[in-house]
Amino acid sequence: MLEQSGFVDIEIGPPVDTFGGAGGESKARLFEVYGYAFLAHKSK
Amino acid sequence: MSDVLPVDPTALREEVKTKYRAVAVNPHGGYHFHTGRPLAHRLGYADDVVARTPDRAIEAFAGVGNPFSLGALRPGERVVDLGSGGGFDCLVAAGQVGPNGRVVGVDMTEEMLSRSRAAAVALGLRQAEFRHGVIEDLPIEAGWADVVISNGVINLCADKRQVFAEIMRVLKPGGRLQFADIANGKEVPAGALRNIDLWTD
Repeated sequence: MLEQSGFVDIEIGPPVDTFGGAGGESKARLFEVYGYAFLAHKSK
Repeated sequence: MSDVLPVDPTALREEVKTKYRAVAVNPHGGYHFHTGRPLAHRLGYADDVVARTPDRAIEAFAGVGNPFSLGALRPGERVVDLGSGGGFDCLVAAGQVGPNGRVVGVDMTEEMLSRSRAAAVALGLRQAEFRHGVIEDLPIEAGWADVVISNGVINLCADKRQVFAEIMRVLKPGGRLQFADIANGKEVPAGALRNIDLWTD
């Protein structure tokens, strides 16, 4: 969706176990949900 | 990409407001996500930044990643934080851009805005301000921002195409979007996508 919105030079960081040990952990595991950092640029 | 939204955006927004109003009022209430200083450590924020942030400014933090992990902000930059919540990421950003930069946090929850404004005042960060608004219609002029940041908020918006269009509008040419959010490795069934409760629980 970032590319479709016109962003370029997109970078994605490694997964972070955001929900590990929290109440939402079981649901997160079910759908393999992790947190990620994203970097994208608007063209010059 | 389908133009049909899985849930009603207004209904979802009200659900999200209710959830994060509760976090603002009672950050230790026990939610399906971690909060506060332990969460900031878990997500890899610098120890010294976490340590020097007062409780009041960090206890309602509810991010899902670290938007600064792929690069720090630069002194003097103008930054917009989408869904600034309790203000922790704005305070981190304000420290990185320094007194000649500007950070504008946008949030739709008055209780979160009260928290973040108080924290910025307490820390003397005059370069940080907080505005009421929704991220699909940002109260920011076109082409103002060098950087847009966000943390765990865009996934809570039904119309992501509109959110990214707004980000494009407020960014300068060559500007950056640095955000953290969740993504799923396994496909969520269509029926679950239409269940608003599952978006916020």
